[in-house]
Amino acid sequence: MDYFFKAERLSVGYHGKPVAEEITVSLKKGQILTLIGPNGSGKSTILKSITKQLTLLGGVAYLGGSAIQEISAKEFSRKAAVVLTERPKPELMTCEDVVAVGRYPYTGALGVLSGMDKEKVYSALRKVNAFDIKDKNFNEISDGQLQRIMLARAICQEPEIIVLDEPASFLDIRYAVEILDTLRSMADESGITVIMSLHELNYAKRVSDWVMCVKSGKVLYLDAPGVIFTKDIINRLYDLREGCYDALFGGL
Amino acid sequence: MIRLRESGMDARNFRYLTVTAVLLIFFAALIVVNVSTGSVRISFRDAADAIFGGNLSAPGYDILWKVRLPRIAAGIILGGALALSGFLLQTFFGNPIAGPYVLGISSGAKLTVALMMVFILGRRLTVSSAMLIISAFIGSLLSMGFVLLIARRVRRASVLILSGVMIGYICSAITDFVVNFASDESIVNLHNWSQGSFSGMSWDNVRVMAAVVLAASVFTFFLSKPVGAYQLGEAYAQSVGVNIKAFRVTLVLLSSILCACVTAFAGPVSFVGVAVPHLIKAFVKTSKPLIVIPLCFLGGAVFCLGCDLIARSLFAPAEMSVSSVSSLFGAPVVIYVMSRKAGRD
Repeated sequence: MDYFFKAERLSVGYHGKPVAEEITVSLKKGQILTLIGPNGSGKSTILKSITKQLTLLGGVAYLGGSAIQEISAKEFSRKAAVVLTERPKPELMTCEDVVAVGRYPYTGALGVLSGMDKEKVYSALRKVNAFDIKDKNFNEISDGQLQRIMLARAICQEPEIIVLDEPASFLDIRYAVEILDTLRSMADESGITVIMSLHELNYAKRVSDWVMCVKSGKVLYLDAPGVIFTKDIINRLYDLREGCYDALFGGL
Repeated sequence: MIRLRESGMDARNFRYLTVTAVLLIFFAALIVVNVSTGSVRISFRDAADAIFGGNLSAPGYDILWKVRLPRIAAGIILGGALALSGFLLQTFFGNPIAGPYVLGISSGAKLTVALMMVFILGRRLTVSSAMLIISAFIGSLLSMGFVLLIARRVRRASVLILSGVMIGYICSAITDFVVNFASDESIVNLHNWSQGSFSGMSWDNVRVMAAVVLAASVFTFFLSKPVGAYQLGEAYAQSVGVNIKAFRVTLVLLSSILCACVTAFAGPVSFVGVAVPHLIKAFVKTSKPLIVIPLCFLGGAVFCLGCDLIARSLFAPAEMSVSSVSSLFGAPVVIYVMSRKAGRD
């Protein structure tokens, strides 16, 4: 029972209609699970369901031993943080203001930050190398900087698990590698469990402990990256012609 | 402390304090001018004597206590209520041009109040403050319901606003029918009110509106924390522990009760709800609810005191509707916000 996150035969979807079914996986503290698979395969729906944004249609997900639907909203927000694909468009908020929203589960009735809260906001900003842009208007930063800020927001929520939906999309290689390395080091050093979806297979191979291949709402494979990233499996997952895989991973 | 200073905290706080101070100066000045101007000029000293000295024989004692002071109090309370109502609706819809007047919520309240008044006055009964507020609240909730139905079907912000404007027109048209069918003496009262006016306030009116608006405003202030999280969108707000359903219902109820209170006593007053929150945010250069909510109230009060002063003194002894004046100043702000928003999208 040293698994931190456990999903047992999850069925996930919208309005009672399942999009993906039979999702079963167990993760220990400090492990990174990456979901890969074609667009529309149900990866985002799985991520939304394990973070309680969608109600589970079936099965049970456990976080630290308790079923997620039995954890109160407040307690859950202290355990799990998210980085979503949607870009928030707040009015007149600085990057620091956005990151500070992560302290919500810890502040009092009016949400005033204590000195310690502020320290945590700053240390999260430093962790993602974004301390220098903290006073910039959030709506005016680049995609790469945006993802750093959203990760910092999740970090200062002090979660035990971080769930990210396509955190590397639209990022150039420098930002992408930096974000994934930050996640890896948090997993290794602080024992934070990470579940994310990625489209970039080379990144997935580099950072994950486990890789889940999702296709048409079914888990095709769930294994270590060394097993998953072979010609046969990737070709089958994405319906690729012979030779594409070599083109993808040729240089790696 | 040194780190705080480096982060620009002092510069920010200085800005908040400056804006607050400037608004308070305007607020005080407008009260003084509103007290002394009118059909009878009352000097500042006489006014002070009548108000604070309790001097019954001071010139203008009756005018001050029976007419001007309740009117000023109503302007302050209802102006603040309108600005907060607008702020809450903008938060709810994530749309900077949402407001009680633009979305037709004021007009919905106006319709039910008119219906209630015609019904009650037609039976030679008297209308109480509570009846006014309750009927206005029902009307604003009905309009809000329509707007929500439309918002569910279409996600486009411009469609939402247009639908609100149309709902407003429909309600106003029906109100006109109702007013025209009403018996003679009630029409005179109804006509002034249905155009938007702070005139004819009694202390009883003021007491009731003060109680309702104060309670709703304090409640709004204590929503600062979830409002701040909601600015990042529903999903992020939920992920930090905001109960989205309860929060959204609270926003609808609070904005409706604030708007209902204004419409019940002063009729529809246009564009304050959009213009004031926008101006306040532009002045303080932040959208932090803890700062913006109290300043919106103060700003709304200043805006309405100013508009009312112009409405009653520009063509004295004739009075304009306060809504005409507030449109003149408020609508350009709305156009500016819209054009800037369209430019960004």
